[in-house]
Amino acid sequence: MKSRYQNRIELLQGTLDLLILQTLQWGAQHGYGISQAIRARSGEALQVDTGSLYPALHRLERQKWIAAAWKVSENKQRVRVYRLTAAGKRQLLSERSRWEQLSEAIAGILNPARENQA
Amino acid sequence: MRFPFWRRSRQEDLGEEIESHLRMAAREREERGETSRAAEQSARREFGNASVVREVTRDQWGRRGLETLFQDLRYAFRMLSKSPGFTTVAVLTLALGIGANTAIFSIVNAVLLHPLPFKDPSRLVLLHEGIPKMGYPKMDFSVPDLAVFTRAQQSFTAIAAFHNEHVDLSGQGEPERVIAARVSASLFSMLGAQPMMGRTFTQEEDAPGHALAMLSYSLWQRRFGGAQNILGQTIAVDRQPYTIIGVMPRNFVFPLPSDEANGQSAELWIPMAFTPVEFQDWGGSYFYGAIGRLKSGLTLSQARFESKLSARRIIDSYPAAIGNFARKGELTVIVAPLQQDLVGSVRPLLLILMASVGFVLVIACANIATLLLSRAASRHEEIAVRTALGATRLRLLRQSLTESLVLSLAGGGLGLLLASWARDLMLQLVPPSILLPHQVPLSRTVLAFAFGVSIFSALLFGLVPAFQISSFSVQSSLREGGGAAKTSRRRFRLQRIFVTAEFSLALVLLVASGLLIRSFAKLLATNPGFRPDHVLTVNVPLPSPVYSHAVQVENFYQQVLAKVSNLPGVQSAGISNDLPLRGYEMVSISPEALASGRTSTPQAICQTWVMGNYLQTMGIPLLQGRWLTPEDRFGSQQVALVSLSAARNFWPGQDPIGKRVRWGVNGPWETVVGVVGNVNQQGLDAPLVPQVYRPYLQLNGGFLEQDPFADMHAMNIAVRTANDSAALASAVVAQVHSLDPQLAVGNIKTMTQVLASSVAAAQFNTVLLGIFAGLALFLAAIGVYGVLAYSVAQQTHEIGIRMALGAQQRDVFRLILEQGARLIFLGVAIGLLAAFGLTRLMASLLYGVSPTDPVTFAGVAVVLVAVALLACYIPARRAMRVDPMVALRYE
Repeated sequence: MKSRYQNRIELLQGTLDLLILQTLQWGAQHGYGISQAIRARSGEALQVDTGSLYPALHRLERQKWIAAAWKVSENKQRVRVYRLTAAGKRQLLSERSRWEQLSEAIAGILNPARENQA
Repeated sequence: MRFPFWRRSRQEDLGEEIESHLRMAAREREERGETSRAAEQSARREFGNASVVREVTRDQWGRRGLETLFQDLRYAFRMLSKSPGFTTVAVLTLALGIGANTAIFSIVNAVLLHPLPFKDPSRLVLLHEGIPKMGYPKMDFSVPDLAVFTRAQQSFTAIAAFHNEHVDLSGQGEPERVIAARVSASLFSMLGAQPMMGRTFTQEEDAPGHALAMLSYSLWQRRFGGAQNILGQTIAVDRQPYTIIGVMPRNFVFPLPSDEANGQSAELWIPMAFTPVEFQDWGGSYFYGAIGRLKSGLTLSQARFESKLSARRIIDSYPAAIGNFARKGELTVIVAPLQQDLVGSVRPLLLILMASVGFVLVIACANIATLLLSRAASRHEEIAVRTALGATRLRLLRQSLTESLVLSLAGGGLGLLLASWARDLMLQLVPPSILLPHQVPLSRTVLAFAFGVSIFSALLFGLVPAFQISSFSVQSSLREGGGAAKTSRRRFRLQRIFVTAEFSLALVLLVASGLLIRSFAKLLATNPGFRPDHVLTVNVPLPSPVYSHAVQVENFYQQVLAKVSNLPGVQSAGISNDLPLRGYEMVSISPEALASGRTSTPQAICQTWVMGNYLQTMGIPLLQGRWLTPEDRFGSQQVALVSLSAARNFWPGQDPIGKRVRWGVNGPWETVVGVVGNVNQQGLDAPLVPQVYRPYLQLNGGFLEQDPFADMHAMNIAVRTANDSAALASAVVAQVHSLDPQLAVGNIKTMTQVLASSVAAAQFNTVLLGIFAGLALFLAAIGVYGVLAYSVAQQTHEIGIRMALGAQQRDVFRLILEQGARLIFLGVAIGLLAAFGLTRLMASLLYGVSPTDPVTFAGVAVVLVAVALLACYIPARRAMRVDPMVALRYE
């Protein structure tokens, strides 16, 4: 089993939440759509494991950062669609700024030369 | 346990969500050109194990409250059924505690908290007159005073008078003695009471000449079989026809049953219809009850102030001859809320009982808490494992509290059963001074109380152990030996605190109970002033409309006395209007002025009219002078006997024989011919009042016919017998009926019974509080036993080492006993201090004993210590018997 994930980037804990919230910022989406969107936007680098996606969606829903509703898709299918709530938007902002700080800090460590230039 | 109702839809939702995901993935693959079967397969493969996804997703939902609760409950049941011994002891202990609380509360609720069944009862007040400076702090109204007051006052929308009269019902069926209430027409509307059939009296009918009656529900059922055509029929009241105009509903009770009426309530209501004579009875008969309804917006204190002013109008309206005394005596009007007036005297008793059962419950809870703490120690490993498996501290706390809750609800349920059973028992013990309403139901309030008490108990005994359990850290518990021993010692300290508290509380209860027992013993040892053994009394009321002439009444009683005196087995017989401990009449008499020239003022005195050998029959001793004789009759010199206390009050240091007294200020003079012993006429614990005995046959005929006190026609026959006095009752009744077969005699009682019922209230407290104190003692003993037994079990290893090192059995025995004794003595010391502070609250229940009676305090402490040491003895002996070899191998 493990070999199947070898070529993928393991997501840091909490990162998936940020990605989901970010994805939903563009509009309501169902679980499959979210996973496809993350994959597409990351240039196929990030494959979201459904075993992580659905728990994350339900956890975010429980935290009231996203809300879910049953809708009928263009293919006349009943799908469960998630949208960002107001609390979710605030959460997205704070997680984004945290992520930016983190990535800057990591980048600083990884690229000391660039920091020296700055 | 599954909850398909709401869970299924959510489970299905998730299933459908995953299905839709798979379908969308497959569809995209199909669109890219895969065959539908291949697309579906690869979609599934890519998705992974759907059931695992479903599982981990479900975990995110969190346990909903209800499911957690049921899981906790299931777990609690499993844990409790694993240790049936503990569970049984805990549930039974709680059942006793909660049951006792519920039973007492059901009475408190019915008596103190339950509003009276009248419209807006909080605005109903009872009105009394008082002439404090003449020895009458509180009495009922006289008719002219009430008339003046009603006209003068401005605080009440209405004032109604009421008066209980004992009447004969005859005509259909057996003659029967019942209470008829004479009431003002305004009463029913004031109380908001509607008849269930017919109507009430009108204002116009509340006047002489209207023989109308309203029946109580029970009388209607009993005498008329609930006949629908009852209205307009007549009923013979004292052999006079009264027309029935209405029937009151079953729950209507008024006047509320009193001590005086022996707990009976009125069975019919007739118009008050004051006569012109009654309206002129100034300074005479103060025995009409008065009830008023406060005007809305008026406070009680305003009404009190205004009533005091109106009382002056009463004084001003008195005839000149006696007005002075009303003024000097400071005649006043007392306003008291109906509810308070009814329950005032029993409030401290009930509150103390409530507090006592509260103590018992707290002790029971402390007991269970120590048991739980001991159990917590043995569950250390289980808790550690659960913590390691991810149970949070909060979860453990909840779990542990759920267990407590299950215990206490089971105890509460059982307690409710106990309460409903104990209540029946208790209600039979309730003395008439506690005015119980019609019934004392296990109402919703009582059930809610039992439930609340159960929850409260669970918190009380479960919280500390729960915190204890949830604070076990994984590390310390998984490590064996040293760490565990340390925590167990700390837990042990908690148990010691609980046991000490139990002893303190038990001591307070025991002291309270001990004081009551001593006080009750003193009460029983009080010399009542008469010899109660072998005396039978029978009340023989003559309907006054039939026996309307004084001669008839006198003749009847003389004849019946002669007949009864001649019965075989009768040693002596007499007649009186009031019996000791059963009713009394206070009048004002003026003793003849002292030689010193001090003017005599009227004094309140207890007056009894007697005939035949009444005083000899009662065993009241003659101290000086002579007895009354049959020659002391109308026309001869007016004579009287006075009690020793009266003689000493009126003529201190002088010879009372030959001194004179007179009724009021202008009655005829009567000469004192003898002095008799004091009798506790009003009750064993009541202060002695001066007494005067007067010959019934010297009663003025006109007065007897008018009979304003309504008791000259209802005399009591007293008989002293050689053997069992109760056995003579039927013979005495037969003699009465040989003169008038229609008479309804009543209140056939031996004086021993009278004495017993006069101390019924004291007995009630003593017995109940004694039971509670015994329960407390028992629980506290079990508590200290449990803690020591546990401690011995824990220390087996240590004891084994000590003994291996040469300690004697005696030393071990002493070691354990010392551990117990330390708890006991500390608990007793704290308890003594607490009791010292608390017992003064029960001063009003005590008779002849100080609330801090040192004998009781010391005796109780000794008893408690003795019982507790006995409880320590068993574990100490077990420790002594420890075999060092076994104990050392044990670990």
